[in-house]
Amino acid sequence: MPNHFLLMNLYATIVGAFFALLWRRQMRDRIKMFLQVYIGLVGGGLIAAWLMYPFPSGPPSPIP
Amino acid sequence: MTDVSNTAPAASGEAVGNPQLACVLALLFPGLGHFYLGKRLRAVAFLLIVAASLVTGVWLQGNLFRPESGQPLTFLATLGSMGMGIPYFVLRFVRDYTGTPTAPGYEYGTAFLLTAGLMNLLLMLDAWDIATGKKD
Repeated sequence: MPNHFLLMNLYATIVGAFFALLWRRQMRDRIKMFLQVYIGLVGGGLIAAWLMYPFPSGPPSPIP
Repeated sequence: MTDVSNTAPAASGEAVGNPQLACVLALLFPGLGHFYLGKRLRAVAFLLIVAASLVTGVWLQGNLFRPESGQPLTFLATLGSMGMGIPYFVLRFVRDYTGTPTAPGYEYGTAFLLTAGLMNLLLMLDAWDIATGKKD
């Protein structure tokens, strides 16, 4: 399986291309829309990951 | 105020086809509604995009939703997944595809499969708007 970051980028690419084609008709507007969606998804994912960084990633450690 | 005249799809105001037929075709297969309405290049692009999401979801062995008793949200998710049309029924009933919960890409694959269905539902609405002349 590819890594998480690659899959996140692939997802953002697919969704960005879809909405750019669906909502815009001019090529310049489509590129702008694609970049907005792509950066929003990838950037939002990275920000969410950064915010969750302090939280433990695994199950709670057993009580001694 | 933002000027949207350059960004919003122009509306011709003229119906270009049968809206009901366009919706049914769009729901049956991704891009078919746009193809019927004469937007052939766009139809191919939409088909490729939805197919990419679908193939990636299956490759990652994601969950193809089906209704489960006691879990009402699975009904909504099933409706969303069924939005991809014929490919959903081929996967579910011909290929007997269910997904593999233990696969490493299971959650990602589920998101890709659900997104494919939801995108095609939006394509159906877009086909309606084009057929009724609200969009070009």
